[in-house]
Amino acid sequence: MNSIRKKEPIFKKKRFRSEEKKDMISGYLYIAPFFIIFTLIGLYPALFSFYLAFQKWNGLSPMTFNGFGNFQLVLTDPLFWKSVYNTIIMGVMGTAPQLIVGLILAYLLNMAFLKFKSFFRVTIFMPYLTSMVAVALIFSVLFSNHESSLANYVLTHLFGLDPISWAASEWGTKIAISLMVFWRWVGYNTIIYLAGIQSIPNDLYEAATVDGANKFQQLWYITIPMMKPFIILTVFTSTVGAMQLFSEPTVFLGADAFTRDEAMTIVMYLYRDAFRLQSFGTASATAIILLVIITLFAVINLRLVQGFGRKKRGVQK
Amino acid sequence: MKGIRKIAVLGLATLLAFLLAACSGSDDGDTNDASGEKGEITLDFWTFGATGYEELAKEYEKENPNIKIKVKSSETADHHDALFTSLSAGSGAPDIAMLEIDQFDRFKVAQDRFENLYNLGANDVKDQYLEWKWQSGENVDGDFLFGLPTDIGPKALYYRTDLFEQAGLPTDPEEVAALIDSPEAFEEVGLQVTEETGMPFVDSIEMAFRAYLDAAETAYLTPENELNLGGDSEVKKAYDYAVHLNDLGLVGKYEMWSPEWANAVNKGEFAAELGAGWLKGWMEGNAPEAVGKWNVATLPTEFAANWGGSYIAVPSETEYAQEAYDFIEWLVSSENQLKSFQSHGLFPSAQAVYEEEAFKTNEDEFFGGQATAPVFAEAAQDITGIGYKGEKYFPVHNEILNALKNVQNKGADPEKEWDAAVKRAEDLMKR
Repeated sequence: MNSIRKKEPIFKKKRFRSEEKKDMISGYLYIAPFFIIFTLIGLYPALFSFYLAFQKWNGLSPMTFNGFGNFQLVLTDPLFWKSVYNTIIMGVMGTAPQLIVGLILAYLLNMAFLKFKSFFRVTIFMPYLTSMVAVALIFSVLFSNHESSLANYVLTHLFGLDPISWAASEWGTKIAISLMVFWRWVGYNTIIYLAGIQSIPNDLYEAATVDGANKFQQLWYITIPMMKPFIILTVFTSTVGAMQLFSEPTVFLGADAFTRDEAMTIVMYLYRDAFRLQSFGTASATAIILLVIITLFAVINLRLVQGFGRKKRGVQK
Repeated sequence: MKGIRKIAVLGLATLLAFLLAACSGSDDGDTNDASGEKGEITLDFWTFGATGYEELAKEYEKENPNIKIKVKSSETADHHDALFTSLSAGSGAPDIAMLEIDQFDRFKVAQDRFENLYNLGANDVKDQYLEWKWQSGENVDGDFLFGLPTDIGPKALYYRTDLFEQAGLPTDPEEVAALIDSPEAFEEVGLQVTEETGMPFVDSIEMAFRAYLDAAETAYLTPENELNLGGDSEVKKAYDYAVHLNDLGLVGKYEMWSPEWANAVNKGEFAAELGAGWLKGWMEGNAPEAVGKWNVATLPTEFAANWGGSYIAVPSETEYAQEAYDFIEWLVSSENQLKSFQSHGLFPSAQAVYEEEAFKTNEDEFFGGQATAPVFAEAAQDITGIGYKGEKYFPVHNEILNALKNVQNKGADPEKEWDAAVKRAEDLMKR
């Protein structure tokens, strides 16, 4: 270092100090608040949780090293696998229809002949702005176990089916919670898609109309391929969101949330370990397993969506 | 140059201040530093539920002008979680904290985080309280006292007089207590009520299960923290009894606190509830149609048990352990327990209160003028001991309860469900 510095002209060194260093320091200061807060409430807990995953700790007594024991406990627990299964099933039922319906809704909202566009756009986005707890509470009333709940009334009177105990049966619970997730998030994805659709240049459609393509062909061959980045984004965020499903089932099930297994998700399993069983070690181990699962799903998703985009383009040619 | 350095130093100082503020934020609540008036001591007191301790604290402040007490009352679960977190973090705990008996054991593992009240003079008041209540405020060895007793929840038999009458049974509390003097008699009366009225006898399988469970000397866990779920364990006996009552058709499906249950209490859709003293307060407020229709009798001694109640402890973070102790000793003295009983229905754990005229003759309009307090007092004195609960009492309880619910609702095989629940309980214990 010294030898290099000696070769440099003196005035350059000074300039570097007075201006670039000044910029550098103020730059660091500007971004510092984020990094400090992130370190305190993001990075430190994450690292500590990684450390905890190998310890046995009840929150008050001293920790003891447990090696991979926590992972073994979690991975051999049938309830953990049940929670993985529940999460995936509710994720598929709650988010996959969301993306398809969202795309269709966005396409409809963008139609030239539609009246009261802003009204529909706002209404579709409203559920997303509603408080989660309020939504879950209202859904738990609509879908209560009682025979006279609205959902059971519809089932029995309109379709002539048997009433379902929505908060205590294997599929009833999952359907009710998936519906709630769908209802709440479909508007959010619709708005993202709408922004995507509006960014597609109009000339493409004009050219297609001249070539004699109908509306459906335009949707299939122009809109969807051009929307690829937006689809990737929503699929990505929805997958991660679905994997972390927690508040909806917890509020929906109320007191039963951590004692029944029909709708226990991975994050609920984690929460139960930490705050019901006072076992922070296994909870942290679950968190790390969840990280691996989410990464895995994200990669698979990305591959799938990318493959799907490429194929579309091939067809277009 | 100097300007830049100044800015940099200033900036770093601001950041540092921010950091320190963020780290010590939880301490702001503690005003122990007594920066205010000279010699004035502020004690933070965390409570939960409706205790009326705020008013008593004001009274104490008047008698002791140098003490200020800041009472913070929260919801039961929030209170214990906040206390757990602050004790775990080692900062932010109050000077005085109330502890519910069911939550108590998860705090007992951290003996070093509490003051031993025996060192502060608790030995002198020991005799004033029910022995079993006092004992479960101690550690297993009995040489460390976590908290002073506040209220208790002696269980008694709440029964519908209209259904009993319809079944051709006596309705007078003394006669009912004499009639139901054993678990077998409980079952026989149940059969008669269900046959004559068509209503279930007890509200839920949980209450049928808790009949024996709450009275067990050793419930799920031994003091060595090992599971105690063998074939001849007390829990299995309670389980079998609940299954048996269910087979006889005596058990309803009204889960406690559910709207359906509340409705059933109101309308008399089941005949008996094995409830603690505090259930009375709930009924008075929430079952307006049932005025005069419920009465209270003592349970057979096999079922005599406690359900609920609290302690007041002094976390060792406090700087004023002695002052804190003096306040709680005053707060749970028999005179003040009588006040808490009269204003908020906290059932006293100090025996002297049971002899007070104001206590004995406290008639309850809701129970058709029956003076129920002596019934609960008798029930409290019937209790021989509280079983050790242990840190994982509730998770294990929930597993067994799930098994019972599967038996009742899905017609599952009780033995298979039992084995599966025991297996899950064993998994829990490894954590």
